[in-house]
Amino acid sequence: MAAGKGDLTDPKQGITEAEAIEQAKRGHEAAFEVLYHLHKRRVYSLCLRMVSNPAQAEDLAQEAFLQLFRKISTFRGESAFSTWLHRMTVNVVLMQLRKKGLPVVSLEETLEAEDEAPRKEFGTRDVKLTGSIDRLQLQRAIDRLPPGYRTVFVLHDVEGFEHNEIAQMVGCSIGNSKSQLHKARLKLREYLKFMRAEKAKTG
Amino acid sequence: MASFRKASVRQAGIQQTSIHNTAAVTLVLATCLTSAAFAESKKEYRFAVGPNAIVSVDTQYGAISVKSGSGDRVIVTATLKSDNVEVDQQQSGNRVEIASHLLQGANEQTGRVDYEVLIPPDATLNLHSSIGPLSVEQLHGDLTLEGTDAVVNISNVENCHVHVRTMRGPITLAGVRNGHVEIATISGDIHLKSVTGPLVLASSGGGRIFYDGDFGAGGDYKFTTHTGDIEALAPADVSAEFRVHSVLGRVHTDFPLLPHHSRYSMKAGSSFVGTAGKAESAVVLRSFSGRIRLKQR
Amino acid sequence: MTCSDVERVLPELFDDASDDTFPPDLDAHVKSCPACSDLVSDLKLIASEARQLAATEGPAPRVWVRIAAELRAEGLISDSATREPKSAPRPTPVPASGSPRWRWRALWLAPAAAAVLAAGAYVISYKQVVPQVAQQAPTPQAPAPVIPTATPPSVPATAPQQVAKKPANPTGVNGRVPAVEAAVEPEPSAEDQQFLSVVSTLGPSMRATYESQLNAVNADIRETQAYVDRNPGDADARQHLMDAFQQKALLYQIALDRIQ
Repeated sequence: MAAGKGDLTDPKQGITEAEAIEQAKRGHEAAFEVLYHLHKRRVYSLCLRMVSNPAQAEDLAQEAFLQLFRKISTFRGESAFSTWLHRMTVNVVLMQLRKKGLPVVSLEETLEAEDEAPRKEFGTRDVKLTGSIDRLQLQRAIDRLPPGYRTVFVLHDVEGFEHNEIAQMVGCSIGNSKSQLHKARLKLREYLKFMRAEKAKTG
Repeated sequence: MASFRKASVRQAGIQQTSIHNTAAVTLVLATCLTSAAFAESKKEYRFAVGPNAIVSVDTQYGAISVKSGSGDRVIVTATLKSDNVEVDQQQSGNRVEIASHLLQGANEQTGRVDYEVLIPPDATLNLHSSIGPLSVEQLHGDLTLEGTDAVVNISNVENCHVHVRTMRGPITLAGVRNGHVEIATISGDIHLKSVTGPLVLASSGGGRIFYDGDFGAGGDYKFTTHTGDIEALAPADVSAEFRVHSVLGRVHTDFPLLPHHSRYSMKAGSSFVGTAGKAESAVVLRSFSGRIRLKQR
Repeated sequence: MTCSDVERVLPELFDDASDDTFPPDLDAHVKSCPACSDLVSDLKLIASEARQLAATEGPAPRVWVRIAAELRAEGLISDSATREPKSAPRPTPVPASGSPRWRWRALWLAPAAAAVLAAGAYVISYKQVVPQVAQQAPTPQAPAPVIPTATPPSVPATAPQQVAKKPANPTGVNGRVPAVEAAVEPEPSAEDQQFLSVVSTLGPSMRATYESQLNAVNADIRETQAYVDRNPGDADARQHLMDAFQQKALLYQIALDRIQ
C-alpha cells in the first residue's frame, strides 16, 4: 500500500524513525513525541475522513496512537512502521463504526433504496467535472457518502490501500470492495455535479 | 541521534547541571546580562532547534511576547524583577521549556518575569501566564495560550490550531487565516477581526463577542455567550447559513437572509435562521440572555 | 460495445487514476462516446484529487497532551529515561505561598471539575426525562448531593487525567450523586468553599478574583436552572445550562492548572 514508506527521518530531532522506535521502547517521552509528530497528520486525516467528525476523529487518533505505543516493544520491523500504524488506525476506526452499528460495508440493496443522491433531474446533466475539484467540496461530498461507501473510498482512493487489503480489513470480498469503490465514485460525481449546479444557480 | 539536555539557571548566572547519557549535540547557548539596579536582571537564552519545534513558556506573573524569528533558533529574553524569582529552562530534543520559578516570599511585583521570545514561525507554542499580557504575532505553528487575568493578543497567524483559554482576560485575534480556532473564557470579551478557517469556536460566559470578518473558508463558526452580547459584522457578499438565537435577549440582522424552516424561525425577535449568498459557511450565534446583532458592513 | 457494457465492466477495469489501459474495444467506445468519455475522465479526476486529502488535517495540540498523560499513567514513559535526576528542577512554577500541602489539596479540584460537568449533565438529563416532576420539585428527590467533599488523600493519584475526559456517568466521583445545590442555593456550597480555600494559596487578590468569577458562574447556573424549570421543553435553554456548568468546570480547571 502507498502508506508503507520506508524509514523516515524527523529533521527536527535529527533522528531516524528507527532510532525513535528504539528509544520509545526504552520509554523516552521525546521519542514517542517524534513518532507522534511524524504520523499525526496522516492518522488524524484518515480518522476524520472516515467519521467526518473532528472531535470523534481526535479520540480515534488518540486511541490508535495509544494502541501502537502500548505494543511498540513488539515491533520488530518486519513491515514498515507507517503500514503498521495505519492498519491499526483503520482497525480502531472500523471497530468504532461497528460499535455504533454503522455498516463498514454497504448493504447495497438497502442503500440503493434509501439513497438520497441527487438525480439528473436536478438539472445537472450539462455540468461536467472538468479541470480540478475544490478540496472543500470534495470533502463535503465524501462526508455525504453512506458510511460503507465512504470506508472503501477513503481506504482506496485517499489512503492508497489495495482492494485485497481492504477486503481483509473490512471483511468483504475483493469484488465487493471494487464494486463499492466504483459506486462511491459515481455518487461523488453526482454530488459534485449537483454542488456545481447549485453554486452556478446561486452565484 | 537524539540528545537531551537540561540546564537550570539561577539568577546569578547559568548553571548547567547535566548532560544526558546520549551524546549531546544540541547547542544551548545562554548568556546572562545582569543589571545591578534594583535587583532587576535581564537574561538571554538561545536554543538551536529544527523545523516544527515545540516551545513552552510558563510564568505566574509577567508578560510574554512571542514573535517570528529565524527558522533554526529560539531566543528568549527574560526580565526578572527581583531576586525572588528564577528562570528554569530545559531543552529536550526539539522541545524548549521555559518557566518562572517563584521563591518563598515572591509576590505579584517581585515574582514578575517579562519574556520576549523569538521562535521559528512553524514552531508549536504553548504559553501560560496568570496576569499576562500574552501576545503572539506572525506564526503558523499550533498555538495554545492560557491565562487567568491575562490580556491575550494574537495577530497574523495562519494554517494552525489556535486554542485560547482565560478566566476574565480579554482575547483579541486579528488576521487569522485557515485557523482551527477554539476560544473559551469565563467573563472576558472576545474580539475577532478577519478570522477565518474551517473551525472557529468562541465562548464567553459574561463577556461579549465581536466578530468583524467575512465568515469565509466554508467553515463552521460558533459563538456562544451566557449574558454577553454578540455582534458580528460581515460584508454584503457574505456566503453563509446563519442560525441565531438568544433565549432571553433580542436578535437583529440587517442582512436580507433567505429564511429556512426551523424551530428557531418561529420566534420572531429572539431567533432567525437564513442563508446569505451561496451559504458556504455555517454560522451559529447563541446566547442565553445577551443581545445578538448581525450587521452588514 | 455499448454504454451499458462500459458501465458493467468499468469497476473491474478502472482501479486507479493512472490506469489508462483499457481493452481496445472499450477504449474505442469511450473515445467515440462523449457521455462515457466524460464519465471516465470524471472518475479519474475524483480518484486523483482524493489522494490530495491524505494527511491534510492536523489534530489539535490537546491530542498529544492526552496521549502523553496516558502513557505516563500507564508507565510507558519512563521518567528516568526522559528526565534528569533530581539535581535539575522541573520548570514548574510554584505558588509564592506554597506549602507542601497545597499539592495534594489541589488534586481535589480535578474530580471536582469533572463532577461539576457531571452535575450539569445529571441536572439536564433529569429535567429532560421528568420535566413535570422537576417543575413541581426543583430539587430532585435523589440521595443527597454532593459534589466531592472528599478529603484529599482519598482522591486517586491519577485524578488530573479525569479532567480531560467527559464524565462517563452522572454520579460524579466516588459514586455519589452529584449536587444540584449549586444551581439552586445562593449560599456557597461546601465544594465552592473548599475551592476558594484551595485557590487562596495563590494570594488574596487571586482568591478575590476567583471568588467573583465563581459567584458569576453560579448566578448564571441558577438563572438558567430557574428558566429551565419554568420551560422544561426548551432544548436551547438546557444547552445553555450545560454551557454554564462547563464554564464552572473551566474555572476549576484554570485553578487546577495554576496550582499544580
